[in-house]
Amino acid sequence: MNLAKLAPGEKGRITAIGAIGPMRRRLMDMGLLPGEEVRVEKVAPLGDPIEVRIRSYHLSLRKKEAEGIAVEVTP
Amino acid sequence: MSAAPKLPPFSAAHPAAARTITVAVAGNPNSGKSTLINAIAGSRLHVGNWPGVTVEKKEAAFEHEGRRIRLVDLPGTYSLSPYSQEEIVARDYLAHERPDVIVNVVDSTNLERNLYLTVQLLELGIPVVMALNVYDEAQAKGHRIDVRGIEARLGVPVVPTSATRKEGLAELLGTVVATADRRQVRTPAPLSYGPDLDAATGGVARALEERHPELTAHFPARWLALKLIEGDARVLEETALDRGALVARPLEHLVAAHGDDVEAIVAEARYGLAAGLTREVLEKPRLQKTELTERIDRVVLNRFLGIPIFLAAMWIVFKLTFDLSAPFGDWIDAMTSGPVKRWAAALLGMIGAPGWTVSLVNDGIIAGVGFVLVFVPVIFAMMFFITFLEGSGYMARAAFVMDKAMHAMGLHGKSFIPMVLGFGCNVPGVYATRTLESGRDRILTALLIPLMSCGARLPVYVLFVGVFFPNRPGTVIWSLYVIGIALAITMGVVFKKTLFRGEAPAFIMELPPYRMPSLRSLCLHTWEKGKHFLTKAGTYILAVSVIVWFMLNLPWGVQDKKDSYLGKAGQVMAPALAPLGFGTWEAASSLITGVIAKEIVVGTMSEIYAPKPAHEEQAPTFAEDLREIGTSFAGAAREALSNVVSTAGLSSISIDKADEAPSPLKDAVRGAFTPLTALGFMVFVLLYMPCVVVAIAMRQEFGGWKWFGVAFAYQTALAWGMALLIYQGGRLLGLGA
Repeated sequence: MNLAKLAPGEKGRITAIGAIGPMRRRLMDMGLLPGEEVRVEKVAPLGDPIEVRIRSYHLSLRKKEAEGIAVEVTP
Repeated sequence: MSAAPKLPPFSAAHPAAARTITVAVAGNPNSGKSTLINAIAGSRLHVGNWPGVTVEKKEAAFEHEGRRIRLVDLPGTYSLSPYSQEEIVARDYLAHERPDVIVNVVDSTNLERNLYLTVQLLELGIPVVMALNVYDEAQAKGHRIDVRGIEARLGVPVVPTSATRKEGLAELLGTVVATADRRQVRTPAPLSYGPDLDAATGGVARALEERHPELTAHFPARWLALKLIEGDARVLEETALDRGALVARPLEHLVAAHGDDVEAIVAEARYGLAAGLTREVLEKPRLQKTELTERIDRVVLNRFLGIPIFLAAMWIVFKLTFDLSAPFGDWIDAMTSGPVKRWAAALLGMIGAPGWTVSLVNDGIIAGVGFVLVFVPVIFAMMFFITFLEGSGYMARAAFVMDKAMHAMGLHGKSFIPMVLGFGCNVPGVYATRTLESGRDRILTALLIPLMSCGARLPVYVLFVGVFFPNRPGTVIWSLYVIGIALAITMGVVFKKTLFRGEAPAFIMELPPYRMPSLRSLCLHTWEKGKHFLTKAGTYILAVSVIVWFMLNLPWGVQDKKDSYLGKAGQVMAPALAPLGFGTWEAASSLITGVIAKEIVVGTMSEIYAPKPAHEEQAPTFAEDLREIGTSFAGAAREALSNVVSTAGLSSISIDKADEAPSPLKDAVRGAFTPLTALGFMVFVLLYMPCVVVAIAMRQEFGGWKWFGVAFAYQTALAWGMALLIYQGGRLLGLGA
């Protein structure tokens, strides 16, 4: 399961960050780290990117980047 | 700010020291840092660039309670990683220049992520003063922040501030001075990242102190050790240290206990600290209302409404920018070409200067200065609205809505706004690329902006369409705009696959809470940008204007324009244009002067094709001139207002201004071109090289002439190819005779 597959309103707990190099570092700097809970808020009108809520703030990222973030769905 | 506790331990002022205190201001984007700096330093701010990069640098020097303070604004960053230009600039400054104090601006409504940067700043061992900014907003939301708790846990003084309300600023500066004076004793104690990482860091730090004392004399050993453990690429490159040899042993236990993803372990340790501290000091009301930002976003980012709202917002910004500024631009134009030139001529006549100096001063210098000034209203208006869009938080939403479409061209969602502005004038479009984070996106966007048909190209279209396509002027002009857009999309894809091959930068962007930017901050920012344009661009444009004057009027006493240097250059260039169907020296010369602005093509054509006989006008008196300046300014203001109020179309791109009256220029053009070559010529004018002001804007934004060179080369090749296609293709179809 990965973050791109969650529908708006669904939540998940991050299990791994699959990206590499600068992008991986950027995701971690923005607070996307294993163990954190992340909630998908919206999908952009054209279907990409998505908006998520993490650490009490709002972040947007493309589905391609979200695909690299493994999550387990939480209720 | 009554809820703010007093700060007993840090308030004692040191009497003696008279040296300047250097203060670096660091913080996340959207933390209100710029507003805070503007509120503190205001007009004393000096804006420039950090050496070698196009990241903006703001500095201010002033006195506070008799002490000299030098404020250096670091770029807004989320972290001190070695990847983005902004982060590198910020960390290099902190690590190498070691300011006396860091003011860390923290968004009180978003503590956890902001504290992640705080934790990294504390690693540097430089005294930190925290400005708990937007404190009023956090209070309004019912957040209770234990300010003393943060002070106790981090060992740094904390001052609640509200930059927009100008609260807490004097206290902040007082605390900065006190902290600087106690520098030796108040260096914050290292924070604990947990026993395993602490032990590893200590081990590496000791190894560094033993084996590389020259490095630990310059950098704090613990900071350097952490950077080595993370595998920080820039530190490794700078110090040429052998990471493996230094960290292998100290890391053994950490890796055995937590796995070998050391970079993530360090990031987790920092975020763990930030999250733990936030839990301890922040109390939110149990029942949380849906925030205003979320309610706005439900509409603004709605599946069906999102794009219409975005397009409406763009239309309003475009209309306000160009309609509001156009009357003032026209007024400046009328002033410099009318009264100012008359006065200059009169003045030069009085001191008995020769006739050619009048022409040089009027047609070279004053025309050039006037040309720069005409841009001022549009640059100011554009900067004002762009700054508003950014400061309010809408810019990020616009990027969110448009990103998918722009990404297909290899661009970023934020590229859309600069490109839209390009339709009014390419120059503000190029400046607006600053809103993009990555250098690649900025350059690629700026390269495509000149394909957006700007207002200055319209007079050329109007002239030719009026002569050759009087029955469907709208269709022809509209199709020129479409050709520009289609080629921009094509070139975007081409550049993505050639010059800009490789991964497009990631789109990982915060959607900050909506905020009303302060008018003072907006005006200051607008003024800085306008001033920058005036001083830098002005010099170059003036020089080019004077050069063109000399080209038109040399050799001395030239009568026929064909024999001037410009005419001769036109004759040299003409054969290259022959395959396009307009290989005449007249057309070539007009295109050369188009470097100043494409609308000047028309002016040169009228001078070459239909020279005006010199005739004496009844010159108005000085007093009449002055009255005229005043009344026409009032007229411009009225017009600007009515432009904004009126809902009737975009006056800046309306074509009904085309005058139907016959003129010698039109007759000459009718003789020199055919409908087919006229179409080719218009497409050539649309596409060929960006004007000199765009060139200067590109140089200012991207350093050096390289990217202008690329734009020049590809556009001129594109113009030539397209005009060739039209002319030769048309002839094959039997269209042009």
